[in-house]
Amino acid sequence: MTVRKRVLTVFAEHAILIALGIMFLVPVVFVALTSVMNSGQTLTGALWPKPWEWSNYQRAFEKAPVASWFLNSLLYAGGSTLFMLVSSVPMAYVLARVRIRFANPIFFAVIVAMLLPPQVIQVPIYVLWAHLHLVGTLWPLVLPHLFGHAFSIFLLRQFFLTIPQEYTDAARIDGNGEWGILTRVMVPMAKPGIAAASIFMFFQSWNDYYGPLLYTSENPDNWPIAYGLASFHGTHSTDWGVIMAVTVLATLPVVVVFFFAQRVFVEGITLTGVKG
Amino acid sequence: MAVVDAGRISARGAAMRRRAPLLPALILLFIVTQIPFLFTIIFSFQSWNLLRPGSTRWVWFQNYASVFTDGTALQALLNEVLMTVLAVLVSLVLGTLFAVLLDRKFPGRSVVRTLLISPFLIMPTVAALLWKTTMLDPVYGILNYLLRQVGAGPVDFVSSFPMTSVIVVLVWQWTPFMMLICLAGLQSQSHEVLEAASMDGAGPLRTFFSVTLPHLRSYLELGGLLGAIYLVNTFDLIYMMTQGGPGTATTNLPYYIYQRAFQGFDIGQASALGVVTVIGTIIVASVALRSLFSVFKTAEARA
Repeated sequence: MTVRKRVLTVFAEHAILIALGIMFLVPVVFVALTSVMNSGQTLTGALWPKPWEWSNYQRAFEKAPVASWFLNSLLYAGGSTLFMLVSSVPMAYVLARVRIRFANPIFFAVIVAMLLPPQVIQVPIYVLWAHLHLVGTLWPLVLPHLFGHAFSIFLLRQFFLTIPQEYTDAARIDGNGEWGILTRVMVPMAKPGIAAASIFMFFQSWNDYYGPLLYTSENPDNWPIAYGLASFHGTHSTDWGVIMAVTVLATLPVVVVFFFAQRVFVEGITLTGVKG
Repeated sequence: MAVVDAGRISARGAAMRRRAPLLPALILLFIVTQIPFLFTIIFSFQSWNLLRPGSTRWVWFQNYASVFTDGTALQALLNEVLMTVLAVLVSLVLGTLFAVLLDRKFPGRSVVRTLLISPFLIMPTVAALLWKTTMLDPVYGILNYLLRQVGAGPVDFVSSFPMTSVIVVLVWQWTPFMMLICLAGLQSQSHEVLEAASMDGAGPLRTFFSVTLPHLRSYLELGGLLGAIYLVNTFDLIYMMTQGGPGTATTNLPYYIYQRAFQGFDIGQASALGVVTVIGTIIVASVALRSLFSVFKTAEARA
């Protein structure tokens, strides 16, 4: 094993990884570049925009109600996250800390509910919303989170379990009730876990296509951006520059949120399941 | 003896009073997650097709019999398992490799990391369209552009290799997530242990497999579990990319149930399919996941 051979091995290993990394980025770079190409260029094999057609972004707002889609997505994702926090934080705390009989079977039932494809229990839920005359609005997408979100409950419960029992006991001796313990001790200590659950929830509803397809597809006023973008793609399939501009706009909020929150997101997830 | 019992009972009473305000949350949680399932069971015993109003009647186990003789349902189950398992495993391996690469210091590391995360942030619908039209398309796709350069004929990837195409996109989306989790694991590793390993004469590969990988195990299990929870429910991608086809080649359970219920309007059959899925999930969850849940045992023991 000569030094030269080892250097070559290390280089080869890196070269493959670097090539893989570049392949990973091709689609993303492609979207970004196409979003500033004019329509003549997008249909040729050109890879670099010339000239840079920034007007695609302006045309995006003219050709489609992008602003309204954004507002709906913000209502859907923001509302879901807020409702999820209100409901799932107390539920997760109950499952993590309050010793009651049947807590484990209930947790198991929650896990199973979480693993289920939403399509499985969709029929009775759809029938219910139809009876309430709310199909076509955003309510069927947002309101259920007020009754708990299984994945978040799971994540938050695991995070609460990592907080030592002594803190709870001390707070109890100081005269706090369960509610006081939750709001004064557990929530401040579980900030990374709460942040991770919120980010998951926000991303999931921002990106969701299935929910809007089922409930608001017949009412364009209530389309979130994920659904609007897909339908825009169907009707303007040749105007690549504008489609890609809308795509960039749709992804931007998620990228910004993630950029500022990635450290706490990773911390919230890894502290949950891994002994520290 | 009696005194002790009395003391215990009153302590328990105090504990009950303290917990009382929290019980509604628990009951609500149980009701909300389980009631829809109860309704699904009731519907599954009925012949109920929305296209034939007024024809609803009890047929008991007839819907279940047709689920087990339905070739498509079995195919969907198989596709579901294949898709989830392969996508999780491949993205875990790739994610680990990227994490190892990013764990070294080099100029521009944070930029590269942020870029590599980007596929995770793209909407599944957009990812589907992006791959279908710009990467895999037989005429405009970049892959076929590259193939043409070396003189190979156009390949319609999505119709010729539908399952592979779907898995490639899933892997593309989930590798960054696995990478993030893995990177956190790598960065929590103590440098003394690594130095000790190299002092003992272990090469980089040997160190990775005997020291780093065991350390990463719980991180990998966690990433795999969370990824599987999401990937089991893959719907948007399939809806946009293949519509479950060609034929039923990429139909998974969520997509098939959606088809039965909202395109075939056969509520009874869709519900039976749902119940079978639930029972299958419970079996898998209690047998296979138990080992995965060992990840969480330490946390639970501490509580």
